[in-house]
Amino acid sequence: MRLGSVIFGVVVWVLIATQALAADKVIIEPPAAGSISPEQGLQAWSRVYEVASHPRCANCHTGASDKPMWSGPSYGTTRAHGMNIRAGNSRIGAETLLCSTCHTTLVTTGTDDNRVPHAAPRVAAPWMLAPVDAHWFGKSSVEICEQLRDPERNGGRTDIEIAEHLNHDVILHWAWNPGGGRESAPYSLQEHVNDILAWGAAGFPCPS
Amino acid sequence: MKLTVDGTSYEADVPADMPLLWVLRDELGITGPKYGCGIAQCGACTVHVNGLAVRSCQLPVGSLNGDVTTIQGLGSPEAMHAVQEAWVEHQVAQCGYCQSGQIMQAASLLTLNSDPDDEQINTVMSGNLCRCGTYPRIRAAVKTAALKLNRA
Amino acid sequence: MGVLKTAGTITRRTFLIGSAAIAGGVAFGTYLAKKPIDNPLLDDLEEGEAGITPFVKIGPNGITLITPRADKGQGAYSMQANLIAEELDIDPATATITPGMPGPAYYNGAVMSEGVPFPAYDESKLAETARNFMAVPAKLLQIQMTGGSSTVPDLFDRLRSAGAVARETLKEAAARQYGIPRAELRTEDGQVILPDGTTINYTALAAAAAAIEPVTDVTLRDPSAWTRLGKRDLPRTDMVAKCTGTEVYGIDVQIDDMVYASVCANPGIGGDVLGYDEAAALSMRGVQQVVPVKHGVGVIASNTWYAFEAIKALNCQWGPGPYPKNSAAIWEALDAAVDNEDHYDHRQRNEGDIEGALADAQTEGGVLEASYRVPYLAHAPMEPMNAIVRINDDSVEIWTGTQIPLFVRDKAAQISGVDRSRVLVYAQPMGGSFGHKLEMTHVEQAVELALAVKGTPVKMTWSREEDMTHDYPRPAGVARARGTVDNGQVTGFDLSVGQSAMAPSWFGRLTGMTVPGPDATITTGSWDQPFAIPHYRVTGYRAPDMVPVSSWRSVGASGNGFFHDTWLDELIHAAGADPLEERIRLCSHDTSRKVLEAVGALADWSGPSVGDGRGRGVAFCLSFGVPTAQIIDVTHTGDGIRVDKAFIVADVGTVLDPTNIEAQLFGGLIYGLSHAINSELTYENYAPQQTNYHAYEGLRLYQTPDVTVKVLENGHRIRGIGEPGLPPAAPALGNAIFAATGQRIREMPFYKHIDFI
Repeated sequence: MRLGSVIFGVVVWVLIATQALAADKVIIEPPAAGSISPEQGLQAWSRVYEVASHPRCANCHTGASDKPMWSGPSYGTTRAHGMNIRAGNSRIGAETLLCSTCHTTLVTTGTDDNRVPHAAPRVAAPWMLAPVDAHWFGKSSVEICEQLRDPERNGGRTDIEIAEHLNHDVILHWAWNPGGGRESAPYSLQEHVNDILAWGAAGFPCPS
Repeated sequence: MKLTVDGTSYEADVPADMPLLWVLRDELGITGPKYGCGIAQCGACTVHVNGLAVRSCQLPVGSLNGDVTTIQGLGSPEAMHAVQEAWVEHQVAQCGYCQSGQIMQAASLLTLNSDPDDEQINTVMSGNLCRCGTYPRIRAAVKTAALKLNRA
Repeated sequence: MGVLKTAGTITRRTFLIGSAAIAGGVAFGTYLAKKPIDNPLLDDLEEGEAGITPFVKIGPNGITLITPRADKGQGAYSMQANLIAEELDIDPATATITPGMPGPAYYNGAVMSEGVPFPAYDESKLAETARNFMAVPAKLLQIQMTGGSSTVPDLFDRLRSAGAVARETLKEAAARQYGIPRAELRTEDGQVILPDGTTINYTALAAAAAAIEPVTDVTLRDPSAWTRLGKRDLPRTDMVAKCTGTEVYGIDVQIDDMVYASVCANPGIGGDVLGYDEAAALSMRGVQQVVPVKHGVGVIASNTWYAFEAIKALNCQWGPGPYPKNSAAIWEALDAAVDNEDHYDHRQRNEGDIEGALADAQTEGGVLEASYRVPYLAHAPMEPMNAIVRINDDSVEIWTGTQIPLFVRDKAAQISGVDRSRVLVYAQPMGGSFGHKLEMTHVEQAVELALAVKGTPVKMTWSREEDMTHDYPRPAGVARARGTVDNGQVTGFDLSVGQSAMAPSWFGRLTGMTVPGPDATITTGSWDQPFAIPHYRVTGYRAPDMVPVSSWRSVGASGNGFFHDTWLDELIHAAGADPLEERIRLCSHDTSRKVLEAVGALADWSGPSVGDGRGRGVAFCLSFGVPTAQIIDVTHTGDGIRVDKAFIVADVGTVLDPTNIEAQLFGGLIYGLSHAINSELTYENYAPQQTNYHAYEGLRLYQTPDVTVKVLENGHRIRGIGEPGLPPAAPALGNAIFAATGQRIREMPFYKHIDFI
């Protein structure tokens, strides 16, 4: 690929990225320090893990592979995204086929944007694969837990910053409103944020 | 709602959630983009928005943020685009129904990558379904089109 | 309907078809069969136009070629136009190409010819006479149908004759005008050329040609004199339009004041409508009317998308379908039919003493056995079913892509109460069919909707989901096989095939008539293969009618090609012979043997095992008179089976358009691989569970092998090529996977048994 086309792709990326608008504000109220026992923290983590490993989330957290996955009740068997889709290093498919070709970028997020079964999900942000470091698909609770509490591998985030990331990034909100008969991620976005904060307040305990 | 398609401005009285495809076909009478599946599985509806491929069945017209080019605006029978010329040279089309989308996808590919290798062609063009099985000639035609564009 | 403006004599109106029919070798037997059919073009001519034969119309403003066989992507319009153009001496790109109005003149004399009880490799006088004779009922029944890879075999002579008659008539008109004998004139590029070099455009001769008796004593040119046919550079006449988005398919036709519609019908086909929420649909934007149709309900709106959305809001409740509730029950019924004398249908192959051979082998502990399955398959062409219908007080107009225009006409007449002479069917190019558009439920529904809004054209489009769930699929089938090998050779082959009867299901739907007798499609592609196995038997068992079924690209051979060749491959393996060598040794038909030898040479065959997880499979099927052999190479990678290369050799007798034949052959292969690898319809609660391409994927470009094609011309008859590329694909792939992995897959789709990349 020529440099010119790479730059062009990046420009496109910025153009579409700036259109992202947040929705579904959540309340971020970290529990007081010391108010969450390690046991409660572990319980909170196990709920966080249920979310992270759920197909609505894990299918796009595939690590060094740039192939999104198709798994969960909507798909039957577990396999790579059909059509030979590769998200590339850009994670938005800029090297080959932009995710946004099918997962179009909406101006605003509505409640029934994704009502058509088996259509390409879309939100008011560019569709993309999670960063390589955030590899959740097929990983155990311990592995994901250790990743998420490691600033080297979680995007340099504190628990509050993870919560804010969840608040701001509408692509994540889709997991709880996937539409089209898809199974939602468990709990709710607010409960998930609460669990992240509780897990953080308990000192990020991981199962052994 | 205002939109520009193939260089012409239109006004369409449609709800924001109507897919662009159906605005083009049934409101504006632009039938080059085809309905095949309605769920981004086949690519027959592919058009360009700001020069890049988009499945028009997946784009609510209210979220359209640029000019639309359809297969009919890419070139015409009298003045074909290099990709269309390559398609004719290789006699790619059988039923031809998917080819509007195939050609628009290939043109978008060559905009982003002027010299794609086999692997890149295989990846980019695998989102477009052809039930007649014209794939071997699509592969060849994309390469011919790249040569034509690079010579130009 | 146009008014007859050019008074033609009775003789003139009828003479040409008779002549053309004789030139085409299809005049037989009775007076009625010989009776000429009116030239329909003469009913609708403008002043100064000549309708020379039912296939050529010339007016002052241009030439029109009538190409009555439907184009569903196989290149039929282009081929028909070139057949006429070869003798007419025009560039078809300069002519208007249209299927015209369907009519008896355009009967298909070849589509029934493979229905005779002779295998295609039987070239005896009796078999040939029987095949030719089948043109008679086709003509009498007014079968204007596209299918069975019959367009070229049927029209090869008829259309060239039409072109020659038109050419000679134009020359005769010029001869009289200029007082020069016709023999001294020649033609080139749409012009008659006088001895002194003066050129006269055909269009300028139209009026004069219309006033004289057509010249019918024509001789067809020898193929060595062809300038278009057989040439590699013979571009399809529709190619530029299809690459510029300007081809107008049925779904693209726009009629003034048209409204848009869609329907949903019970996916348990034939089941009742229990209820729906009409108010919900009527409250939606753009919705004009909710109209009940047979077994379903339709919505008329101002945009197809509004209609689709309203259909969902109807939330229809369906009664049970008139067949088993799910796939498990369907397989049970199929399994129960095979080798069950109560379900015996026919046995067209029974050579040697298979029972004796099996009994002998039994005592030696050497009977080989296997069972196979193929699922229901949707055609799923890219263009979903659609039709535009406008009904006025005493006329019906229909714009649709169809392989059966006269059945469409008659059904529309029946539903609307309008006489069929006032039902006009404007046949449109199709975005694929694979046999899907041999059905017409969608047209019937569109007629019902149009009756509700008389005077207004209604464009009815099925959603993909409606299309997938009302596809009238290829029948599911099962086979049980037994066999013997001895001394390195295949000695006994016994195949029992069970499936529901396809022909009566389909023909009954079209005509309301029952079709008596056995259904040959149960074993087409397995009973009729050109092999001389000492003890050789193929038996068809008829399972009960279940899901209504239809013709699917290559029809019976789509499943039987898999059963027959895979079982042959298994026996050859058991015998320890080379897969290609043993097929060649067993082959009893010269043309077929040469195809097998040629595919071996093309692929540089040196046996099935290539090492390193790679394998090669060879397969053969004689279908529609075309012996076709394929070799497929696969690699067993860590991510699954990758199909690397495919080699195809077929014999079509005479090659007319090599570029298109190649496309049809690899297209057939890819369609075959698609379904072999990943496609099936399964049923739950009477409905197919696969509702769109996400669950019925087909092959994508990255899964497509490199393909090499070679076409031979040893066959004694010219053949059509739309279907024969398909049947060997699945067995060649399965045989290759066996060679690579040792795993024998006996059920389609293969992905249920092994991963693919």
